[in-house]
Amino acid sequence: MTEDTSTVPAGPATHSAVTAAGGARPDRAAVPGRYRSWIPSWGLITTKHLELRKRRGLMVVAVLLTVGLPVLVLGIRLLFHVADPKSYGPAGSPSVFQFLFQPMAEFGFIIAATLGATAGTTDLTDGMFRHLVITGRSRLALYLARIPAGLSIVLPLVAVAFAIVCLVTSFAGTPQPASVGVNGISVPAHLSQAQLKSWILQHPRQYDQAFVNGGPPFGPAPGALPVSRSASPRPVIDRDIATIYGDYVSSEAGQLNPPVNEMVKIGLWLALDIGTGFLVGLGIGSLIGQRTVSIVLMIVLQIIVTPLLAGHVIPYFLDGQRLVVGIALDQLRPAGLAGGGAGGPGHVLFGGRGVLNIPPMPTWAMITVIVGWIVGWSVIGAWRMATRDA
Amino acid sequence: MNVSCALGLHCLAVTRPGGSNIGPGLPLLVVLLIAGAGYGLTRLSRRRRERRVADSTWRPEPPEPSSAGAVAPSGDRAGSPDPVTPRAVSAAGLPDEPAGGWAVEIHGLTKRFGPNLAVDNVELLVPRGSAFGYLGPNGAGKTTLIRTLLGLTRADAGTMSLLGIRVPSERSRALARVGAIVDEPRFHHHLTGRENLRLLGAARGGGADGRIPGSLARVGLTERADDKVASYSMGMRQRLGVAACLLGDPELLILDEPMNGLDPAGMHEMRAMIRSLVDEGRTVMLSSHLLDEVERTCDAVAIVDHGRVIRQGPIDELVRTAGARIVRLDCSDPAAAGRLLERSGITAGVTLGEPMLTVTLPSGASRESVAEVNRRLVEGGISVYGLQEVHATLEDWFLSVTSRLGEQS
Repeated sequence: MTEDTSTVPAGPATHSAVTAAGGARPDRAAVPGRYRSWIPSWGLITTKHLELRKRRGLMVVAVLLTVGLPVLVLGIRLLFHVADPKSYGPAGSPSVFQFLFQPMAEFGFIIAATLGATAGTTDLTDGMFRHLVITGRSRLALYLARIPAGLSIVLPLVAVAFAIVCLVTSFAGTPQPASVGVNGISVPAHLSQAQLKSWILQHPRQYDQAFVNGGPPFGPAPGALPVSRSASPRPVIDRDIATIYGDYVSSEAGQLNPPVNEMVKIGLWLALDIGTGFLVGLGIGSLIGQRTVSIVLMIVLQIIVTPLLAGHVIPYFLDGQRLVVGIALDQLRPAGLAGGGAGGPGHVLFGGRGVLNIPPMPTWAMITVIVGWIVGWSVIGAWRMATRDA
Repeated sequence: MNVSCALGLHCLAVTRPGGSNIGPGLPLLVVLLIAGAGYGLTRLSRRRRERRVADSTWRPEPPEPSSAGAVAPSGDRAGSPDPVTPRAVSAAGLPDEPAGGWAVEIHGLTKRFGPNLAVDNVELLVPRGSAFGYLGPNGAGKTTLIRTLLGLTRADAGTMSLLGIRVPSERSRALARVGAIVDEPRFHHHLTGRENLRLLGAARGGGADGRIPGSLARVGLTERADDKVASYSMGMRQRLGVAACLLGDPELLILDEPMNGLDPAGMHEMRAMIRSLVDEGRTVMLSSHLLDEVERTCDAVAIVDHGRVIRQGPIDELVRTAGARIVRLDCSDPAAAGRLLERSGITAGVTLGEPMLTVTLPSGASRESVAEVNRRLVEGGISVYGLQEVHATLEDWFLSVTSRLGEQS
């Protein structure tokens, strides 16, 4: 820092008008170090947050699509139940939980992507980018400040919506049954994999009816290797227990409220989904510089490209299909969601999520694809921001 | 045929414990992605390194040791890593270095947009503590020069420094002391003036946030500071732009066409504000095509045309040395007088007006030439009622030098 003062002739000492009104003159030698830093300051993050939050139209749509939808659905169900409990069941139920989760994830992703694209383009389109660059602040810091600023808007919104759904499901829902019906056979609920295996060995006939003759409630996992379960000898059960447990968990997800730990996992998965949408939207927005085009691209990716690519296995392009972030995210779904765990069709919304026919990929591959999208688009966005003519 | 078969990549196939075959494509694509990112980063860092090298290879020319009027080199400046140019008078007739040094120093700056040369080998020196006008017609390259100077776009060639700090290599350091408006000042319309300043203050750091009330008061926007910018007039946005400039308590302000969109009262206020900023010891460099405003506001000026700086220096000196003598004539027959003087060849130009005739005498003409005009008219039978020599304005000079350039090209 001392080189700043030694190599630059001291400025005039009479710049008093603004300084007098604005407080003490800052230590000039201390300024440049902060300017060079790529770490965004707290003030920069909070003002970027303010800039996004003050977009009233966007915020209204975001609140309506995230919090508004579950509030409306659950509110109506609560009212009906209160008015006529005999005709209308409790507001919360496993199926309502699954039903509300799908649009929450879909709309949450799109809202997050829209907010990301807005954060990535608003300075450019409003003409503020030039002002910000002229401040001398590191462009990387300007880019990075948008990440916490945007996430601190969209994540709380989705968290509130998810919390409402969880609370209604838990406290205003149907009583939890002690068993799960699998193809008409009652299997005790909340079993671990080891407990299920023990139950199978003790109840071979019920096992055959539930899991072998009847098959899993939602059909075999797409792309999973065929499992021979006819004889049900112990070695076969040992080999197939993971798949059998996946079928059991899928049945459970449709009939039971997810336990608290599953709800936490689902919430974290939702946060990952939303965060990915925001960061990819931010990167694309920063690269293109046009808000509308970026948003359209993100919506097309989410509701057209992903379902199309996930609808059928293309033998020679399977690995390419797996590189789509929506497919990787789908395969990372928690077991507590219909279609989670070992896979299988849950509620179909927008033709894709939850019914993806792509054969399972290893966890490392899912994580690699998701991290690749996040890091890749962030790097591209930051690079464009750093090199763009202002 | 499977792609992996075709490539003979069975060995790369990954098989999941559950039995699903991943194939070689995914790992390969991941590797390709990583390689691509690495290549991009390498290219980026190489470009930055090359730019740094280009910056560091520049050295100011040593001053002529014995030339009259040259500024003596200031000791170890030539060897310092960030020297202020000690060059006294360049081939282009650049002015001597003032005591405070240069606020802006540009040498050989060139910027192209495809085949168009927007800035052509510009040499520009702005003395500290002055109001400096960068004057030129529309499309002359004024804004491009300012954008290049501020690092908003890259230069193709040349060296620049702001307040003695090299740019773009030390751009952040330099811009911490600079406030600038480039083009029309635009802000977030959905935010208030104060919120926009908060945003810029947060980006500036260093206590800029605390200077917001003072800056708003300085430009007379305190009353409307909490209104949305969407409701601001053009003049108010200009003033908000100046307030944004003041957030950093700058030593140098660069204002691009600051009078644009202002009514006469607004222009008067802006002029007074610029003068007061200069009186505080700041340097103000403003670009404009409004000659009258520049003449009234600035101490020194550079004239730019077709991307080139034609002349620069203090306004008084430039106008005085421009050489043209202008005489206004009140006579019995201005049209005949004009024809007569044009035939005589003693004038550089004649403009017929009602009721006066304006005669421009050639560069370097003496007072005797004025008497010669009178004599010729009287001999030609034209009664001369009045003859007044008028001082050339910056506008006269500007038009003469730019048109001269047009003739040469």
